[in-house]
Amino acid sequence: MGEPAGGVRAKVWDGPVRIVHWLLVVLIGFSWWASEDHLNWHRWSGYAVIGLVLFRIYWGFAGGGAARFSAFVKGPKAIAAYAAEVGRRDVAVTPGHNPLGALSVLALLALLLLQVGTGLFVVDIDAFEGGPLSDRVSYDTGRALAEIHELSFRALQALVALHVAAVLYYWLWKRTNLIGAMITGKRTLPGDPGLAGAPVWRLVVGVGLAAAIAWALSKGLRF
Amino acid sequence: MASVMSRGGALALAIGIGAAIAGGGALAHVHDPMPANANAATKAAYARHANFEKLGAAFKGLNDELKKGSPDKAVVAANTKTMNSLVGALPTWFPRGSGVEARPLSEAKAAIWTDAAGFTAAATAARTEVAKLNAAAAAGDLDAVKAQVRPTGGACKGCHDKYREKKD
Repeated sequence: MGEPAGGVRAKVWDGPVRIVHWLLVVLIGFSWWASEDHLNWHRWSGYAVIGLVLFRIYWGFAGGGAARFSAFVKGPKAIAAYAAEVGRRDVAVTPGHNPLGALSVLALLALLLLQVGTGLFVVDIDAFEGGPLSDRVSYDTGRALAEIHELSFRALQALVALHVAAVLYYWLWKRTNLIGAMITGKRTLPGDPGLAGAPVWRLVVGVGLAAAIAWALSKGLRF
Repeated sequence: MASVMSRGGALALAIGIGAAIAGGGALAHVHDPMPANANAATKAAYARHANFEKLGAAFKGLNDELKKGSPDKAVVAANTKTMNSLVGALPTWFPRGSGVEARPLSEAKAAIWTDAAGFTAAATAARTEVAKLNAAAAAGDLDAVKAQVRPTGGACKGCHDKYREKKD
Protein backbone atom coordinates (compact mmCIF):
# COMPACT_ATOMS: atom_id res chain seq x y z
CA MET A 1 0.00 0.00 0.00
CA GLY A 2 1.28 3.43 -0.82
CA GLU A 3 2.26 5.11 2.37
CA PRO A 4 3.73 8.59 2.44
CA ALA A 5 7.36 8.48 1.36
CA GLY A 6 9.67 8.95 4.27
CA GLY A 7 6.77 8.63 6.71
CA VAL A 8 7.12 7.59 10.31
CA ARG A 9 5.18 5.04 12.32
CA ALA A 10 3.35 7.14 14.84
CA LYS A 11 1.04 6.22 17.71
CA VAL A 12 -2.48 7.48 17.06
CA TRP A 13 -5.02 5.40 18.99
CA ASP A 14 -4.43 4.64 22.65
CA GLY A 15 -5.34 1.25 24.13
CA PRO A 16 -8.67 2.29 25.67
CA VAL A 17 -9.98 3.68 22.35
CA ARG A 18 -9.08 0.47 20.54
CA ILE A 19 -10.50 -1.81 23.22
CA VAL A 20 -13.76 0.17 23.36
CA HIS A 21 -14.01 0.07 19.57
CA TRP A 22 -13.60 -3.68 19.21
CA LEU A 23 -15.71 -4.54 22.23
CA LEU A 24 -18.51 -2.45 20.73
CA VAL A 25 -18.16 -4.36 17.46
CA VAL A 26 -18.51 -7.66 19.29
CA LEU A 27 -21.26 -6.56 21.67
CA ILE A 28 -23.42 -4.81 19.07
CA GLY A 29 -23.35 -7.99 16.98
CA PHE A 30 -23.94 -10.16 20.01
CA SER A 31 -26.83 -8.00 21.26
CA TRP A 32 -28.46 -8.22 17.86
CA TRP A 33 -28.20 -12.00 17.87
CA ALA A 34 -29.40 -12.29 21.47
CA SER A 35 -32.35 -9.93 21.00
CA GLU A 36 -34.67 -12.68 19.83
CA ASP A 37 -34.40 -15.57 22.25
CA HIS A 38 -31.63 -14.77 24.73
CA LEU A 39 -32.86 -11.66 26.46
CA ASN A 40 -30.92 -12.34 29.62
CA TRP A 41 -27.67 -12.21 27.66
CA HIS A 42 -29.05 -9.28 25.67
CA ARG A 43 -29.49 -7.36 28.93
CA TRP A 44 -25.96 -8.12 30.13
CA SER A 45 -24.54 -7.18 26.78
CA GLY A 46 -26.49 -3.91 26.99
CA TYR A 47 -25.07 -3.12 30.42
CA ALA A 48 -21.59 -3.62 29.01
CA VAL A 49 -22.40 -1.30 26.10
CA ILE A 50 -23.65 1.34 28.58
CA GLY A 51 -20.33 1.14 30.39
CA LEU A 52 -18.32 1.32 27.15
CA VAL A 53 -20.23 4.29 25.74
CA LEU A 54 -20.09 6.21 29.02
CA PHE A 55 -16.39 5.49 29.26
CA ARG A 56 -15.81 6.61 25.67
CA ILE A 57 -17.60 9.89 26.31
CA TYR A 58 -15.54 10.43 29.46
CA TRP A 59 -12.40 9.52 27.52
CA GLY A 60 -13.38 12.15 24.95
CA PHE A 61 -12.65 14.69 27.65
CA ALA A 62 -10.04 12.95 29.79
CA GLY A 63 -8.24 10.71 27.32
CA GLY A 64 -5.10 11.26 25.32
CA GLY A 65 -4.46 13.02 22.00
CA ALA A 66 -6.66 11.59 19.27
CA ALA A 67 -9.34 10.37 21.70
CA ARG A 68 -10.44 13.85 22.70
CA PHE A 69 -13.50 15.49 21.20
CA SER A 70 -11.65 18.80 21.24
CA ALA A 71 -9.04 17.22 18.96
CA PHE A 72 -11.40 15.98 16.26
CA VAL A 73 -14.78 17.71 16.41
CA LYS A 74 -14.57 20.57 13.93
CA GLY A 75 -16.80 23.37 12.76
CA PRO A 76 -18.70 23.53 9.45
CA LYS A 77 -15.83 25.28 7.64
CA ALA A 78 -13.28 22.58 8.39
CA ILE A 79 -15.83 19.88 7.59
CA ALA A 80 -16.65 21.47 4.23
CA ALA A 81 -12.96 21.90 3.44
CA TYR A 82 -12.29 18.25 4.23
CA ALA A 83 -15.33 17.07 2.28
CA ALA A 84 -14.07 19.00 -0.75
CA GLU A 85 -10.84 17.03 -0.85
CA VAL A 86 -11.95 13.61 0.44
CA GLY A 87 -12.53 12.37 -3.11
CA ARG A 88 -8.86 12.80 -4.03
CA ARG A 89 -6.88 9.68 -4.44
CA ASP A 90 -4.18 10.44 -1.93
CA VAL A 91 -3.23 8.83 1.34
CA ALA A 92 -5.14 10.26 4.30
CA VAL A 93 -2.87 11.82 6.92
CA THR A 94 -5.24 13.05 9.64
CA PRO A 95 -3.75 11.77 12.92
CA GLY A 96 -7.08 10.48 14.27
CA HIS A 97 -10.66 11.12 13.21
CA ASN A 98 -10.97 13.46 10.23
CA PRO A 99 -13.63 16.21 10.38
CA LEU A 100 -16.19 14.08 8.54
CA GLY A 101 -15.44 10.95 10.52
CA ALA A 102 -15.98 13.03 13.64
CA LEU A 103 -19.63 13.45 12.65
CA SER A 104 -19.90 9.71 12.30
CA VAL A 105 -18.36 9.17 15.74
CA LEU A 106 -20.78 11.62 17.34
CA ALA A 107 -23.77 10.10 15.53
CA LEU A 108 -22.74 6.58 16.55
CA LEU A 109 -22.29 7.57 20.19
CA ALA A 110 -25.62 9.42 20.22
CA LEU A 111 -27.44 6.48 18.65
CA LEU A 112 -25.83 4.03 21.06
CA LEU A 113 -26.98 6.21 23.96
CA LEU A 114 -30.51 6.21 22.53
CA GLN A 115 -30.26 2.46 22.05
CA VAL A 116 -29.23 1.63 25.61
CA GLY A 117 -31.34 4.46 27.04
CA THR A 118 -34.55 3.08 25.57
CA GLY A 119 -33.38 -0.46 26.34
CA LEU A 120 -33.49 0.32 30.06
CA PHE A 121 -37.25 0.89 29.92
CA VAL A 122 -38.51 -1.44 27.19
CA VAL A 123 -41.28 -3.96 27.78
CA ASP A 124 -41.63 -7.10 25.71
CA ILE A 125 -44.96 -7.84 24.01
CA ASP A 126 -45.61 -10.59 26.56
CA ALA A 127 -44.77 -8.20 29.41
CA PHE A 128 -42.52 -10.96 30.65
CA GLU A 129 -39.18 -9.56 29.56
CA GLY A 130 -38.16 -5.97 30.06
CA GLY A 131 -35.35 -3.56 30.79
CA PRO A 132 -34.13 -3.07 34.37
CA LEU A 133 -36.13 0.16 34.73
CA SER A 134 -39.27 -1.09 32.94
CA ASP A 135 -41.23 -1.09 36.19
CA ARG A 136 -40.94 2.72 36.20
CA VAL A 137 -43.10 3.03 33.07
CA SER A 138 -46.53 1.77 31.96
CA TYR A 139 -46.99 -1.17 29.63
CA ASP A 140 -47.93 1.19 26.79
CA THR A 141 -44.91 3.42 27.33
CA GLY A 142 -42.65 0.40 27.56
CA ARG A 143 -44.04 -0.95 24.31
CA ALA A 144 -43.65 2.40 22.56
CA LEU A 145 -40.02 2.54 23.76
CA ALA A 146 -39.50 -0.99 22.47
CA GLU A 147 -40.49 0.24 19.03
CA ILE A 148 -38.05 3.14 19.24
CA HIS A 149 -35.42 0.65 20.46
CA GLU A 150 -35.93 -1.34 17.25
CA LEU A 151 -36.01 1.68 14.97
CA SER A 152 -32.89 3.20 16.47
CA PHE A 153 -31.15 -0.12 15.96
CA ARG A 154 -31.97 0.06 12.26
CA ALA A 155 -30.50 3.54 12.15
CA LEU A 156 -27.46 2.20 14.01
CA GLN A 157 -27.10 -0.57 11.44
CA ALA A 158 -27.19 2.04 8.67
CA LEU A 159 -24.45 4.05 10.39
CA VAL A 160 -22.32 0.96 10.95
CA ALA A 161 -22.69 0.06 7.28
CA LEU A 162 -21.66 3.58 6.34
CA HIS A 163 -18.69 3.41 8.70
CA VAL A 164 -17.50 0.15 7.16
CA ALA A 165 -18.05 1.54 3.66
CA ALA A 166 -15.99 4.61 4.53
CA VAL A 167 -13.16 2.50 5.94
CA LEU A 168 -13.16 0.39 2.76
CA TYR A 169 -13.18 3.56 0.67
CA TYR A 170 -10.09 4.81 2.48
CA TRP A 171 -8.44 1.44 2.07
CA LEU A 172 -9.20 0.78 -1.59
CA TRP A 173 -9.40 4.27 -3.03
CA LYS A 174 -7.15 6.30 -0.79
CA ARG A 175 -4.79 3.40 -0.02
CA THR A 176 -4.97 4.19 3.65
CA ASN A 177 -5.27 1.24 6.02
CA LEU A 178 -7.41 2.45 8.92
CA ILE A 179 -8.26 -1.05 10.13
CA GLY A 180 -4.67 -1.87 11.01
CA ALA A 181 -4.41 1.42 12.85
CA MET A 182 -7.42 0.51 15.00
CA ILE A 183 -5.70 -2.78 15.85
CA THR A 184 -2.11 -1.69 16.43
CA GLY A 185 -2.85 1.92 17.30
CA LYS A 186 -0.20 3.04 14.82
CA ARG A 187 -0.32 4.83 11.48
CA THR A 188 2.36 5.78 8.99
CA LEU A 189 2.23 9.55 8.83
CA PRO A 190 4.45 12.24 7.28
CA GLY A 191 5.58 13.20 10.76
CA ASP A 192 4.90 12.16 14.34
CA PRO A 193 1.97 14.30 15.52
CA GLY A 194 3.30 13.88 19.05
CA LEU A 195 -0.07 13.07 20.56
CA ALA A 196 -0.04 13.21 24.33
CA GLY A 197 -1.01 10.11 26.28
CA ALA A 198 -3.30 10.21 29.30
CA PRO A 199 -2.11 9.26 32.78
CA VAL A 200 -3.21 5.86 34.06
CA TRP A 201 -5.16 7.30 36.99
CA ARG A 202 -7.58 8.93 34.54
CA LEU A 203 -8.18 5.54 32.95
CA VAL A 204 -8.80 3.98 36.35
CA VAL A 205 -11.26 6.73 37.32
CA GLY A 206 -13.13 6.41 34.01
CA VAL A 207 -13.40 2.64 34.13
CA GLY A 208 -14.54 2.83 37.74
CA LEU A 209 -17.19 5.45 37.04
CA ALA A 210 -18.54 3.74 33.93
CA ALA A 211 -18.64 0.34 35.60
CA ALA A 212 -20.38 1.74 38.68
CA ILE A 213 -23.09 3.46 36.63
CA ALA A 214 -23.63 0.39 34.43
CA TRP A 215 -23.84 -1.81 37.52
CA ALA A 216 -26.34 0.52 39.23
CA LEU A 217 -28.53 0.55 36.11
CA SER A 218 -28.35 -3.24 35.81
CA LYS A 219 -29.80 -3.38 39.32
CA GLY A 220 -32.66 -1.15 38.20
CA LEU A 221 -31.31 1.43 40.67
CA ARG A 222 -32.61 -0.76 43.50
CA PHE A 223 -30.01 -1.41 46.15
CA MET B 1 -13.96 10.61 -12.04
CA ALA B 2 -15.37 12.13 -8.90
CA SER B 3 -18.28 9.74 -8.76
CA VAL B 4 -17.56 8.64 -5.23
CA MET B 5 -19.97 10.24 -2.85
CA SER B 6 -18.28 12.28 -0.16
CA ARG B 7 -18.36 10.77 3.26
CA GLY B 8 -20.46 13.68 4.49
CA GLY B 9 -22.94 13.17 1.69
CA ALA B 10 -23.17 9.50 2.47
CA LEU B 11 -23.57 10.25 6.17
CA ALA B 12 -26.36 12.69 5.45
CA LEU B 13 -27.97 10.07 3.23
CA ALA B 14 -27.70 7.41 5.92
CA ILE B 15 -29.17 9.73 8.53
CA GLY B 16 -31.93 10.57 6.08
CA ILE B 17 -32.67 6.89 5.49
CA GLY B 18 -32.65 6.24 9.24
CA ALA B 19 -34.99 9.14 9.85
CA ALA B 20 -37.28 7.98 7.05
CA ILE B 21 -37.43 4.48 8.51
CA ALA B 22 -38.08 5.88 11.97
CA GLY B 23 -40.67 8.29 10.63
CA GLY B 24 -42.37 5.57 8.62
CA GLY B 25 -42.45 3.31 11.66
CA ALA B 26 -43.88 6.09 13.79
CA LEU B 27 -46.53 6.85 11.18
CA ALA B 28 -47.51 3.20 11.00
CA HIS B 29 -48.22 3.47 14.70
CA VAL B 30 -50.25 6.60 14.55
CA HIS B 31 -53.30 5.98 16.64
CA ASP B 32 -55.45 3.53 14.74
CA PRO B 33 -59.04 4.28 15.74
CA MET B 34 -61.84 1.90 14.88
CA PRO B 35 -63.84 3.04 11.83
CA ALA B 36 -67.29 4.35 12.74
CA ASN B 37 -69.05 1.86 10.48
CA ALA B 38 -67.09 -1.15 11.72
CA ASN B 39 -68.76 -4.51 11.29
CA ALA B 40 -68.77 -7.22 13.95
CA ALA B 41 -65.50 -8.79 12.79
CA THR B 42 -63.69 -5.45 12.81
CA LYS B 43 -65.09 -4.64 16.24
CA ALA B 44 -63.83 -8.00 17.43
CA ALA B 45 -60.34 -7.27 16.07
CA TYR B 46 -60.17 -3.94 17.91
CA ALA B 47 -61.63 -5.37 21.11
CA ARG B 48 -59.07 -8.18 20.97
CA HIS B 49 -56.26 -5.67 20.72
CA ALA B 50 -57.60 -3.79 23.74
CA ASN B 51 -57.90 -7.03 25.68
CA PHE B 52 -54.32 -8.07 24.91
CA GLU B 53 -53.16 -4.67 26.12
CA LYS B 54 -55.04 -5.23 29.37
CA LEU B 55 -53.49 -8.67 29.66
CA GLY B 56 -50.01 -7.27 29.06
CA ALA B 57 -50.56 -4.49 31.57
CA ALA B 58 -51.72 -6.99 34.22
CA PHE B 59 -48.74 -9.30 33.67
CA LYS B 60 -46.43 -6.32 33.81
CA GLY B 61 -48.15 -5.13 36.99
CA LEU B 62 -47.51 -8.57 38.50
CA ASN B 63 -43.86 -8.69 37.42
CA ASP B 64 -43.21 -5.15 38.64
CA GLU B 65 -44.70 -6.00 42.03
CA LEU B 66 -42.59 -9.17 42.28
CA LYS B 67 -39.45 -7.13 41.65
CA LYS B 68 -40.04 -5.23 44.88
CA GLY B 69 -38.35 -6.25 48.09
CA SER B 70 -41.64 -7.17 49.75
CA PRO B 71 -44.40 -7.57 47.15
CA ASP B 72 -47.94 -6.70 48.16
CA LYS B 73 -49.91 -9.96 48.00
CA ALA B 74 -53.14 -8.10 47.26
CA VAL B 75 -51.61 -6.36 44.23
CA VAL B 76 -50.17 -9.68 43.04
CA ALA B 77 -53.53 -11.43 43.41
CA ALA B 78 -55.48 -8.60 41.75
CA ASN B 79 -53.25 -8.80 38.69
CA THR B 80 -53.35 -12.58 38.39
CA LYS B 81 -57.12 -12.47 38.78
CA THR B 82 -57.37 -10.03 35.87
CA MET B 83 -55.05 -12.24 33.82
CA ASN B 84 -57.04 -15.33 34.67
CA SER B 85 -60.37 -13.91 33.56
CA LEU B 86 -58.86 -12.44 30.39
CA VAL B 87 -57.03 -15.63 29.39
CA GLY B 88 -60.16 -17.64 30.16
CA ALA B 89 -62.04 -15.60 27.57
CA LEU B 90 -59.14 -15.47 25.09
CA PRO B 91 -60.43 -18.23 22.76
CA THR B 92 -63.58 -16.16 22.16
CA TRP B 93 -61.56 -13.16 20.93
CA PHE B 94 -60.86 -14.74 17.57
CA PRO B 95 -64.11 -15.08 15.61
CA ARG B 96 -63.48 -16.24 12.06
CA GLY B 97 -62.90 -13.28 9.77
CA SER B 98 -61.41 -11.02 12.45
CA GLY B 99 -57.82 -11.18 11.14
CA VAL B 100 -56.10 -8.72 8.81
CA GLU B 101 -59.20 -8.73 6.60
CA ALA B 102 -61.04 -7.03 9.47
CA ARG B 103 -58.20 -4.75 10.57
CA PRO B 104 -55.09 -4.29 8.44
CA LEU B 105 -52.88 -3.72 11.49
CA SER B 106 -54.08 -6.93 13.13
CA GLU B 107 -51.19 -9.19 14.04
CA ALA B 108 -53.33 -12.32 14.05
CA LYS B 109 -51.96 -14.91 11.63
CA ALA B 110 -54.28 -16.87 9.35
CA ALA B 111 -52.93 -20.03 11.03
CA ILE B 112 -55.19 -19.26 14.00
CA TRP B 113 -58.09 -20.40 11.84
CA THR B 114 -56.40 -22.78 9.41
CA ASP B 115 -54.73 -24.60 12.32
CA ALA B 116 -57.60 -24.19 14.75
CA ALA B 117 -56.67 -27.31 16.72
CA GLY B 118 -53.10 -26.11 17.26
CA PHE B 119 -54.29 -22.66 18.27
CA THR B 120 -56.81 -24.06 20.72
CA ALA B 121 -54.09 -26.23 22.24
CA ALA B 122 -51.79 -23.20 22.64
CA ALA B 123 -54.57 -21.10 24.15
CA THR B 124 -55.48 -23.92 26.52
CA ALA B 125 -51.86 -24.23 27.60
CA ALA B 126 -51.80 -20.53 28.43
CA ARG B 127 -55.04 -20.89 30.33
CA THR B 128 -53.61 -23.78 32.37
CA GLU B 129 -50.44 -21.86 33.29
CA VAL B 130 -52.33 -18.70 34.24
CA ALA B 131 -54.79 -20.72 36.33
CA LYS B 132 -51.85 -22.14 38.30
CA LEU B 133 -50.44 -18.65 38.66
CA ASN B 134 -53.74 -17.31 39.92
CA ALA B 135 -54.22 -20.19 42.35
CA ALA B 136 -50.77 -19.55 43.85
CA ALA B 137 -51.51 -15.83 44.18
CA ALA B 138 -54.93 -16.44 45.70
CA ALA B 139 -53.26 -18.70 48.27
CA GLY B 140 -50.79 -15.92 49.04
CA ASP B 141 -47.84 -18.15 48.14
CA LEU B 142 -45.40 -15.64 46.62
CA ASP B 143 -42.68 -18.22 46.03
CA ALA B 144 -45.08 -20.34 44.00
CA VAL B 145 -46.20 -17.25 42.08
CA LYS B 146 -42.59 -16.37 41.27
CA ALA B 147 -41.91 -19.92 40.13
CA GLN B 148 -44.99 -19.86 37.91
CA VAL B 149 -44.12 -16.58 36.16
CA ARG B 150 -41.66 -18.16 33.74
CA PRO B 151 -43.95 -20.96 32.49
CA THR B 152 -46.67 -18.34 32.09
CA GLY B 153 -44.45 -16.09 30.00
CA GLY B 154 -43.38 -19.15 28.04
CA ALA B 155 -47.01 -19.97 27.25
CA CYS B 156 -47.59 -16.40 26.00
CA LYS B 157 -44.47 -16.59 23.87
CA GLY B 158 -45.23 -20.08 22.59
CA CYS B 159 -48.51 -18.90 21.16
CA HIS B 160 -47.12 -15.60 19.85
CA ASP B 161 -44.27 -17.32 18.03
CA LYS B 162 -46.70 -19.41 16.03
CA TYR B 163 -49.80 -17.31 15.67
CA ARG B 164 -48.73 -13.69 15.90
CA GLU B 165 -47.32 -11.75 12.96
CA LYS B 166 -45.19 -8.99 14.37
CA LYS B 167 -45.96 -5.65 12.74
CA ASP B 168 -43.68 -2.94 14.02
